Amino acid sequence: MNACSDYQFTRRRMLKMFSASLLGMPVSQLLSKTLEGQGHAEHVILFWNSGGMSHLDTWDPKPGRKTQGEFNPIKTSVPDMEISEIFPQLAKQMHHAALIRSIAGTNGDHGRAQYELQTGFNQSPNIIHPGLGSLVVHEREPLGDLPALVSISGQAARAGYLGQQCEAYFVGRPGQKDPYLAFPEGISHARGMQRLQILEKMNRRSSDKNGGSELKASETALKDAVALMESPALKAFDLKEESTQTIERYGDNEFGRGALLARRLVEKGVRFVQVNRGGFDNHGNIFEAMRNHGGVMDPAIASLISDLKANGKLSKTLVVVLSEFGRTPRINDGGGRDHWARCFSCMMAGGGIKGGSIVGASDEDGMAPAERPVKVSDLHASLCHALGISLSKELYTPQGRPMRLIRKEAEPIRELFI
Amino acid sequence: MFPRPDTTFTALALLTLALPAAAAAPDFAEQIQPILERNCVRCHNADKIKGGLRMDTHELILEGGETADAIVPGDIAKSELLVRIHLRPIDEGVMPDEGRALKPEEVALLDAWVESGADWPKGVTLTERKPEPIKRVALPKKSPSSPTEAAAMLDDILRRENAGARIITTDLISDAAFLRRSTIDLIGRIPTMAEVREFERWGDGRRRKLVDKLIAHPRFADRWTIFMADMLRIRSNVEGGNQLLAYIHGSIERGKPYDEVVRELISASGRSNSNPAVGFILGDNTEPMELAAATSQVFLGVRIGCAMCHDHPFDDWEQRDFYDLAAFFGKTKQVQNRQRGMTYTTEGDKMTVLWPPEDKAEPDDRKAIGPKFPFQLTEFDTPPDYLRRLEKLRENKDKEDSVGEEAADLDALLDAVEPNVGRPSDPVLAEAKKESRQLNVHGDIYKSSEMRTQLAALITDPRNGYFARAFVNRVWAELIGHGFVEPLDNFSDYNELHHASTLDFLSQEFIASGFDLRTLVRLITLSDAYRRAPLGAEVKIALREESEKNFAAAPTRRMLGEVLYDSIITAGHLKDFKWPAGANKKDISREIQVPTGEFTMVDVGDAPPAMMKAAMRGDGYDLESSITLDFNALANAEERNELESMRQKSDEQIEAEKMAAMQKETQRKVMKYEMKTITETIDDNPRFSSAMRMATPAPPAHFLRVFGQPARTGLGEFRDEASSLRQQLMMLNGRMTQEASRVGTLEPLHRILEKDPDKAIDWAYQEILTRLPTTEEKSDARLIIASGTEGMADLRWALLNSNEFRFLP
Repeated sequence: MNACSDYQFTRRRMLKMFSASLLGMPVSQLLSKTLEGQGHAEHVILFWNSGGMSHLDTWDPKPGRKTQGEFNPIKTSVPDMEISEIFPQLAKQMHHAALIRSIAGTNGDHGRAQYELQTGFNQSPNIIHPGLGSLVVHEREPLGDLPALVSISGQAARAGYLGQQCEAYFVGRPGQKDPYLAFPEGISHARGMQRLQILEKMNRRSSDKNGGSELKASETALKDAVALMESPALKAFDLKEESTQTIERYGDNEFGRGALLARRLVEKGVRFVQVNRGGFDNHGNIFEAMRNHGGVMDPAIASLISDLKANGKLSKTLVVVLSEFGRTPRINDGGGRDHWARCFSCMMAGGGIKGGSIVGASDEDGMAPAERPVKVSDLHASLCHALGISLSKELYTPQGRPMRLIRKEAEPIRELFI
Repeated sequence: MFPRPDTTFTALALLTLALPAAAAAPDFAEQIQPILERNCVRCHNADKIKGGLRMDTHELILEGGETADAIVPGDIAKSELLVRIHLRPIDEGVMPDEGRALKPEEVALLDAWVESGADWPKGVTLTERKPEPIKRVALPKKSPSSPTEAAAMLDDILRRENAGARIITTDLISDAAFLRRSTIDLIGRIPTMAEVREFERWGDGRRRKLVDKLIAHPRFADRWTIFMADMLRIRSNVEGGNQLLAYIHGSIERGKPYDEVVRELISASGRSNSNPAVGFILGDNTEPMELAAATSQVFLGVRIGCAMCHDHPFDDWEQRDFYDLAAFFGKTKQVQNRQRGMTYTTEGDKMTVLWPPEDKAEPDDRKAIGPKFPFQLTEFDTPPDYLRRLEKLRENKDKEDSVGEEAADLDALLDAVEPNVGRPSDPVLAEAKKESRQLNVHGDIYKSSEMRTQLAALITDPRNGYFARAFVNRVWAELIGHGFVEPLDNFSDYNELHHASTLDFLSQEFIASGFDLRTLVRLITLSDAYRRAPLGAEVKIALREESEKNFAAAPTRRMLGEVLYDSIITAGHLKDFKWPAGANKKDISREIQVPTGEFTMVDVGDAPPAMMKAAMRGDGYDLESSITLDFNALANAEERNELESMRQKSDEQIEAEKMAAMQKETQRKVMKYEMKTITETIDDNPRFSSAMRMATPAPPAHFLRVFGQPARTGLGEFRDEASSLRQQLMMLNGRMTQEASRVGTLEPLHRILEKDPDKAIDWAYQEILTRLPTTEEKSDARLIIASGTEGMADLRWALLNSNEFRFLP
């Protein structure tokens, strides 16, 4: 099943997207020189922390400064790398991970920043840019029966001009059954299959009469839908297959189950899983909130990394922990921190990432990048690089406007990679 | 990457055909230079070196582009330029990339030129030439005396415009198919059995009769509100969105002229509750730049917005033109009064649009500019017939309603507040009134915009050639499948406009009708052009596309998501209960949240919107639900609501509420929940309401969105018409299709099935597909329904899921 480039109409209004080559001649290269990403990662698990996660209370502690807050730094499996005490289990996995501590964002507003962090572009009135997941599944062929892009516990960014085909498959609550993946209640499998036979015959008859490619595309989509319903890989969505111990190791809560589901989906060939979580807009009582967040995130993400390592998938799976911005170094009167886009952090692990590395540094209070500032779009370039996706590729929107997948000025953070 | 065998095949076939055609070398100055100057040099010159290729001098064209040789004299197959111009307009990499496709004879000339050695006289440098003027045919001299005559004139013009084209003109569809097609298009659902029977009874002139009936149908306004909502990007979740939706619905319902609607949208000021049209201005956050881009693109079909940041790359618009236009919005401000919880627009004294642009000058050098309309109005020595007809119509109309609608004046509104709602001398009410009046005196509140009123008049001026054409193009595409111009909102000298005379005729009739949507829809649906059949599977794709593009064959159109939704409800009798009470009692288990007594931290600000929350709960079928908005209540919300609420709340109260809201924002402690499974007995007797009056757009994973309803956040966003796996899953396994298939005991079909299974098959086909089964289908169906109601449910399920159901006949 191809999640993205299938069923496209031939009508000009629908698409005029460059991606195939013609007559063996790379037409798109006439428009721009192509720089292929170098990496060999196959999957991405993106933990999207909505609200603006504090960098100071997670990946970039500032011990001894007024801005430190309540948490102490702790040692990790990497000498000279310290992270916040709210992540004790993750600390033991940091030799698989890299920290970027000098992201220089430009948007301090949730909506705009989320858009930029998830798409790599600034909002613009004329176009909707695809989210990272949509971009990846547009560029990389599918690997199995399951949808190539799955968003758990919330919506990933939209597919924008890439169209419905590149939208995320949405899992409201991890472990909950999706009623659309099985015949309706009261319809046995045998009866359902019988119904499908009747339907296929009807569709064949109308396709004989009307030659529109739209009908063929619809039939292909139908075949794919049935293949998905029948696929043994669907079991990946069912967390009942996991032992109670495993579920408890990840944390028996929505996020823990989400992380566990992400691992199961990647094992079954899903390209991109986004696990969403909110609660980071801590204008007040940030330390209580972050301690709570740590308690949920730490076991889940640490278990995920160690399980991926154990089953050999980690080198092919890029795990990213990201938020739309950081939080003010100054602690406000309500014991909280406010929006801070000028400097924040991101954690990446696996997928060809050089474990134990630290990219850039913030100044002594985490106010601004002190070394090697990283642009937001550099993160997207790095992700594409890790997956071997061309960084300079241009697509045409359905309205015929040429669009780069990645901003022109974006550069992959090369020192992140082995 | 995806295989496109057709592409490669066609391109190769054309190439091989072209090779032996090396006749006499064409004359460069006469034959080749004009083609290159009109189509190529624009993007391949000293200023704009697209793909690294310049085509203005002989040396440079031979040098080629970044990755390939543009031309190799004598070798067509190695000349990338020729490979590219041989591609079909829809293919990847086709040249010209912008503007109209080359004509076959132009392609042949270029082939012959390269084949014969690509001669280029010494020293000749090419410069860009404007495109050729659009070809037109004569329009009828006399104005049509009836809608049927107008439709016949339309067909005649179209026929003349298509003369000589290599296309297939298909037959007209049957009356039964017409019933289905027009009912779907005009009122947004398939016909009911009663409507089918009624249509069958009507004799001569039944199509005309049907169109009249559909145009007068209450659902006409529902259906065309969707069309307008897409065009205007109406979103329920932005300030004034629902009011704007209700305003548009009411305008269509009452047949308010389109130009009047647009004038109100552009010039509206104030608050959504008192002036719902202001939602259009509020929708773009009252940003002059965004409003200028939206206004020109939506109402005039001109993408001058591309000149916001730079001179238009593919058109002649300059950045200054855009700024001139934006200046009409330059004094409009959006005011948010958090304390009162209201947002309104007003006019400031300062012009906020400054020139030169921010990135091109120091702040001190940027000066306020005055508004200037960058579009030319056509000047006539003697007004043409259609303008005289409009004038006459408007004169008569003015006489009829000599008492015009009064402008919403704040004082009048305030005085209209019934004094006896509360105590007459309520001090808070008096205070609120006084406060509001004072604001008005200072020119701070609800001030109307003179500049925007001017702009509204210019945009909707019947002499503005863009205004009617842009709208007609959209309506035509909605009914026929594609427009005279594609994308629909890109009228430009550099974008192909075909069948210009047909468009002219329609636009003139639309203007003459007083910009009446119903007249336009009637004219189109009564034409033969609307009744074309699709082409069969045996027709080659290139010929099919050419025929469809020239309006000689119907393209395959899928029902809009909303229409599909309502059609399933109609076919499956889901609008009313189809089971007696208690017939479907069953035990269901579901998970619910039970508070544990402990507290946890959550982020209120990140909570998903209410509808999304609903979708994540319950049985998971909520993605098919619809919640009806009350358009009447929304459109008629009176100013007094706000004043009443002011009266009821003291300032201290308002302040306290504000504090409470802030508390809520920072204090993230909420009760912890755990999931418990409960079992309960319910009477599962489903009923669905129309998708036409839902809050819009629906949440992202909702049925309507999956079937193409746009997010309406960006300009130039059209419905996604592609098929998807998710669509199929929702149809195959969704609750709505399942319930629609089941044969309810209160449905007529239930009774018929018991008495006469053959008749029941006919009934099911007519009810779902608006036609009788063929002999073959009938014998298949007999086997399927042998098991009674279960079998009939299987048959109906398959019919509802079939392509024939969701694609128009």
